[in-house]
Amino acid sequence: MVLVLALGDLHVPHRAPDLPAKFKSMLVPGKIQHIICTGNLCIKEVHDYLKTLCPDLHITRGEYDEETRYPETKTLTIGQFKLGLCHGHQVIPWGDLDSLAMLQRQLDVDILVTGHTHQFTAYKHEGGVVINPGSATGAYSSITYDVNPSFVLMDIDGLRVVVYVYELIDGEVKVDKIDFKKTTTVNLVFL
Amino acid sequence: MLKGKLKLPVPEKALRVFPDRLGSLVAGFDDKEEDNGGSDVAFEHGEELETFQPNGFKSDRASDDDEKFQEELEVKVRPRPDKDGAGPASVSRVIAADEKRSDLEYELSRPEINLEKLQRIASTGLPDGGRLRAMAWKLLLGYLPPSRDLWEKELTENRKKYANLKEELLQSPSKFTRKDGAFSPDEQHVDRDMDGPLQRQEISQEDHPLSLGKASVWHEYFQHTEIVEQIDRDLQRTHPDMKFFSGDSSFSRKNKEAMRNILILFAKLNPAIRYVQGMNEVLAPIYFVFTTDTDEQNAGNVEADSFSCFVRLLSDSVDHFCQQLDNSAVGILSTLSRFSELLKANDEELWWHLEFTSKVRPQFYAFRWITLLLTQEFNFQVILRIWDSLLGNPFGVQDMLLRVCCAMLLCVKSRLLSGDFVANLKLLQHYPDINIEYLLQVAQDLSPDTSSFRLSL
Repeated sequence: MVLVLALGDLHVPHRAPDLPAKFKSMLVPGKIQHIICTGNLCIKEVHDYLKTLCPDLHITRGEYDEETRYPETKTLTIGQFKLGLCHGHQVIPWGDLDSLAMLQRQLDVDILVTGHTHQFTAYKHEGGVVINPGSATGAYSSITYDVNPSFVLMDIDGLRVVVYVYELIDGEVKVDKIDFKKTTTVNLVFL
Repeated sequence: MLKGKLKLPVPEKALRVFPDRLGSLVAGFDDKEEDNGGSDVAFEHGEELETFQPNGFKSDRASDDDEKFQEELEVKVRPRPDKDGAGPASVSRVIAADEKRSDLEYELSRPEINLEKLQRIASTGLPDGGRLRAMAWKLLLGYLPPSRDLWEKELTENRKKYANLKEELLQSPSKFTRKDGAFSPDEQHVDRDMDGPLQRQEISQEDHPLSLGKASVWHEYFQHTEIVEQIDRDLQRTHPDMKFFSGDSSFSRKNKEAMRNILILFAKLNPAIRYVQGMNEVLAPIYFVFTTDTDEQNAGNVEADSFSCFVRLLSDSVDHFCQQLDNSAVGILSTLSRFSELLKANDEELWWHLEFTSKVRPQFYAFRWITLLLTQEFNFQVILRIWDSLLGNPFGVQDMLLRVCCAMLLCVKSRLLSGDFVANLKLLQHYPDINIEYLLQVAQDLSPDTSSFRLSL
């Protein structure tokens, strides 16, 4: 039972001062085993804050990040799943499923997590899953209007993943759940 | 067996006659040896056995039910000089031990067990190995009722209860949410094998991992992780010299896993005390005795039995672990003052010396003795022997415990009287090896503290 937090596009301090208070109260240290961050934090203070939540932190570089040494892409294996991480501004057209699928094949992962569009999406596409956790602070974006703050928490348990989506809509935290299972071959089956 | 040491439950006496019928057989005088209880005597017996075989003594042994016992005796003989020259005394001791064993077996095989008789036998020590100690402890703790025909029913009931508890409380939250059938298969059918956006289910009102609600399974789970970590740390430190508990073998890991479950369950069921450091030490002897029980019927249920007996044993002294009750009438401080009174009633000189002259208050040494039931003061075999006496006391474990602690003080009286604060404290916190039978006999003979509400025989 591994809890993985996926978030990104905070744009602190340029576009947003901080995470919403309701999110901050939920994110306490000791619960989460891994954090994967798509990028655009942008400053070191946010990095340090995320480190306090969980020591195992993986970040890829977004175009506004001030730390230049984050990698462009990253892959990691958690339990039975291979996860891929990339900010997403490198993949053109931005947010296009087919192009993201190309990246997924390149990285050879089951679950690809990208950001940049500031909008939560979760798709099953060509044998893999593409998840976009959206923007955790609700920072504005040139390609999305009315951004709601959102992030994703994945509960990886053996061959099964439960994805909890946390969104702040009209000041209230809404939680959604997505369930999926990996078969022994590449394809993912949805229950 | 453990460390190659054998323990024969031999009642040894220094110049005094035993109250029970075995006393007349024992004629030897035994010094207070600086060794582990009577274990060296056991090796002598082995030797004696060898010598007396031609006299037809062996045929006696061969008729013994428990062959394993015989095997052990023959295997573990270590050549040692005969400590007491009285040959007949050693033989009679062996015969006495043998008789006690068959006595015990007879007692335990009766349909209606006489608990008083069992207590008396237990106070003189139970035989190691085999199934007798485990059965005796279960009876003395009240886990098994005295009438044999109710055993089956009690055991299955308790074991089932334990299994249910485990399922309910020890599950990880993901498995819990999975069991609820939290998704509807019909809706999702459309998506099967088809690309496209994934179906989402709104669960804002239900449980999720970051939930801070009191009723949330996840929240509870995270609250307990701290306790679980503490339990794990303590289990690593339990009896590091024993292969049974420590090391990386799968056997010791299995044992630690079982003990972990028991302690976590106890912590969850008793939110007032939760887990306190040291409970692992109180659990260890119980779990050990039940695991080494040679009775196959009990083999699969060691965990469940240990849990119930652990709870029963702790129910007496559980108040000692609760910090808020420290100063109350049932807390540890009141027990310590009872202990002081007991010492005063039996040896005022020593009491005065400790309390006032060297200012060694019972809080400094007896706290650990009492809360952990002496598991940290002696080696493992001796602990089992002491617990036989503790459990076999008709007035309860706590009463005997205080007596044994008092006896511990009396047995090192001369050293205490000549020591100051530092020396005495050092002595009492690292209690020296002592002849355990002598110690227990002294404990038995103490005059009870008349200020307590319990009257002696």
